Parts: sequence; structure tokens; C-alpha cells
Amino acid sequence: MSELARFQSAFAEALTGDAAGLAPWLADASAEPRLAVYRNTVAKGCADAVAAQFPTLVRGVGEAWLRDAAVIFARGHPPVSASLADYGAAFPGWLADFPPAADMPWLPGLARIDWAWRAALFAEDRPALTARAFTALTPEDHASLGAELHPAAQLLWFDDGTPSLWQALQADDAAAGIELSPAPEGLLVTRPELTVLTLPLGSGGHAFLAACRAGRSLAAAGEAALAAQPDLALAALFPHLIGAGAFARIQTPRSDVS
Amino acid sequence: MRQGLTAGLSLKPPHFADALAAPGEGLWFEVHPENYMAAGGPRLAGLAAVAERWPISLHGVGLSLASDAPPDADHLADLRRLVDRFRPALVSEHLAWSRSGGSYLPDLLPFPRSRAALARISDNVARMQDALDRPVLIENPALYLPLQGHELQETEFLAELTQRSGCGLLVDVNNAFVSAHNLGYSAEAYLAALPAAAIGEIHLAGHSADLGLGEALLIDSHDAPVAEPVWRLYEQLIARIGPRPTLIERDDNLPPFAALMAERARAHAVLAREVEHV
Repeated sequence: MSELARFQSAFAEALTGDAAGLAPWLADASAEPRLAVYRNTVAKGCADAVAAQFPTLVRGVGEAWLRDAAVIFARGHPPVSASLADYGAAFPGWLADFPPAADMPWLPGLARIDWAWRAALFAEDRPALTARAFTALTPEDHASLGAELHPAAQLLWFDDGTPSLWQALQADDAAAGIELSPAPEGLLVTRPELTVLTLPLGSGGHAFLAACRAGRSLAAAGEAALAAQPDLALAALFPHLIGAGAFARIQTPRSDVS
Repeated sequence: MRQGLTAGLSLKPPHFADALAAPGEGLWFEVHPENYMAAGGPRLAGLAAVAERWPISLHGVGLSLASDAPPDADHLADLRRLVDRFRPALVSEHLAWSRSGGSYLPDLLPFPRSRAALARISDNVARMQDALDRPVLIENPALYLPLQGHELQETEFLAELTQRSGCGLLVDVNNAFVSAHNLGYSAEAYLAALPAAAIGEIHLAGHSADLGLGEALLIDSHDAPVAEPVWRLYEQLIARIGPRPTLIERDDNLPPFAALMAERARAHAVLAREVEHV
């Protein structure tokens, strides 16, 4: 191993706390306290990224709590890319097992929605499917064609009312308190143009989009939606989803599904 | 000066609209490409709009050229896409490392300036230039830690790096000031030793005292206006080497756009004065 590699390995160790290996390169006793500058900058970089990616958690638990959690998270899950807007994919799952968050069972769910919002924000730019393209379809087309989700579209389902709580926390006067409804809810997060949009979904709407995402035909997606929610107004659902920018285009269903 | 660039500003998304409306002869904007390595979205669209109006500089912070390994191929490919799309007037990176064992450490880390390190880093800079098909500028780092094992002064190291790789230099006058203060040498002598012909860009930024060690340790924090001693060093440097594209660099504690433009005007005036002398 080259001297440069040995130095860098020892320096990386020193950043996590054990500076013993760095001793051959430290000029004098004044050096070690100065390592704190680098430790602080690395920790700040990770905390800045997490705080930027999870703004609803900042509103829910306060910035100081979230940054402290992010620094602990970063010790076990350091960034792997210099593109720090991609950092934090594992954070929602990690929060579910983070003991200080145990009395906030709604926290990982809010984090999942923030991460979906981020994914929609940075997704590929594509025109969304228009209502006109849909009205041109015949009943035969419904059986033979499917709808490709927009590249920004993120589909989420919760066994509780996390989406409504997330929505409430977006308001400026959201400090009133955290109330989580027990009723299951779904959410579509997408970005047909430059602004990220969210659309609450019932079980029928969620089943419809899940079937589209799996590459099934419009007719099969409609059947899946009615099976999930028998009282669904199916005729209104597809135009409603088009209006929200859920789809990129009409396509032939994938051959491996029906 | 390169493509008529005088004084520029580092650009953050909250200032996109201001940047589009800004007046200013010779104005340009610099961004960190790592913040734009996305498939799409409003941030990229905002930069695209600014790039139609003004020259752009891509100032990398994460390629880790001082690693004992070649630069990350995916990172280089992402950077190439941005270079092809935005046709930047300037592209730069740091004499530092930030990658270790598969992890990215969001900082610009130091190393012992050995001859072996010079060979490795010259090769890494050449790989960067080959991947981008253009020369780049390499920035002197802010140093906090006295290290043993240096075989070359930083000015010698940078001068040799330019000769071996064909790169230019981005001279951060604030980094020179902060490093000289922290490690106990003369910033004037440091700047006087840099090869004038290689200098393609200058950075000016603010610093702050370390929270723990106080004034004994200055931090290159980019969260404050440029300090007066740094302005004086800058004026001396420009008097020696002539005008160069100069950036007011601000990353944190972002002030109103007008405050940055006022600092920018001061650098522009220094450059304009020097042009009259030439």
C-alpha cells in the first residue's frame, strides 16, 4: 500500500474518533485537537443533506433533533456519492429502529413521503399524458393498451393516515400538534412540470396505479381498482389521475403480464 | 481575460431569479456540479436559464483528485454530461481528497505532499481532463492541520502539477490567508511564489474563527463577507499577475443578492483598474 493510501486510511479512521494510526503524520501535540475541524465539517455536510432531504421531519421534530439523528445515522451509513442530494435513502428505514424515535411511530412514514417528494423533484423531465390522448381511446384500446407512469411518479400506501399528517405539516401554522388517523391512505407524488404535486389516493386509485406500474392493461387496472374498492367511481378515476400528471404515455402492455 | 469574464458570483437556487435579472459587464456565475447531477427538475432548469444569459463555471467539490485511486468513473461521466450541456467557461476542482473505502466524506481533506503523491495526483488530473476533453483549474486548499511527510512546498507542488498535467490554477486567496495563518507562514510569500501564467481564476471568500480554538484557528467557512486582509492580498496578486476571472464565493449564511453584488462590484473595480494599467 502506498504512503498516500496508508495516510488516507488512517485519516478516515481518525475522523471516526481513533487518531492513533495518524500519529506518524501529526507534527506535534497541537495537531490532534485540529482534527475536530474535519470531523465537524463531515458531520455538518451529512446533517445539511439529511435536513434538506427531509423538510417535513424538520417541521415535525425540530431541526436540532433531526440533525443530531442525522449525525448518528451517518456513522453507520456514510454517503457513497458526492451528489449529496442522493444521500438518505436508508434514513426512513433506519428511523424505524432508532430508539429515541420510538415514541414517534409516525416519523418513518413522514420520512418515506419526503424521500418520494425528493425523488419526484429530481426525476427525468417528461411531458405528462394529456386528457385528449385518453379521450381518443376506444373500449378495445382499454383492453389492449396500458398507461406508463410518469418518471417522476411515486406511489405510496400506508396502513394509517400518514399522508394526511404529512399534508397538515406542510402548512405554516402546523405546530398545533401531531394527530395520526388510523384509516389507511395512499398518496401519489409526481411532477408533470417543474412543481411537485401530491394527490391523496384511496385503495382503488392506489390499486389502479400499481397495476399500471406493473405494466397491465387499462382494463385490467380498472378491474384491480374495483376489486380493491367496490364503490369506486371508475369512470372518473383515470381522468382524475391524468389531471394530476400521473402518466407519461399510453403504451402496449408488457408481454409478461396481462 | 478569458471570454471577457471579470468578477462573478457563486450561485445558489434561491438567487436564480436575481441572477437572471442582474446587470453587470463581465458577470458570470459558478456552481458546484455535484448539486446538478440529477436526471431533471427545477434546479437544473434554473441553471439552464442562467446559463443562457451568463457564462457559467463548474467548480467541483467531490472528485477526490488527491485520492490514491483514479477518479470515480460515474462521477466523471456525470460531470461530462454537465460540461456538454452547459459549455462552462471554466471548470475546476480541488487539491484534496474526499473518498475513502467506498464512502464519500463531505470535506476537502489534506495529505502529505510527497513526490509519489504528486505523480498520482498529476495522473488523476490528466484523467479528469481526458474525460472532459478540456483543461481544468486546480484550487489550493484551506489547511488546518500541521502534517509531517511533506517533500514539497504547496506552491512547488502546484507548479509541478501544472507542468505535468497541463492544468491551470484556481487561486483561493482566502484559503491562502487561512492556511498561512493556521500553519504559520507568510501568505504574501505563498502567493508571490505561484506561477502567474498558470493562474486562470481567483476565489475570494469569508472566513471565521474556530468555535473551540478561537482566532488561533481560522475556518474557511464561506459564510461571511470577504475580510479586509484578503482584499489587500487580492489587490497585490492582481497587480502582479494582471486581471483574472474572480469569484465572490458564498455557500452559507446566504445574504440578499444585492449584498453579494456589492462585493462583486469591488472585485470588478480592482480588475478594471488593472486593465487600465495594462
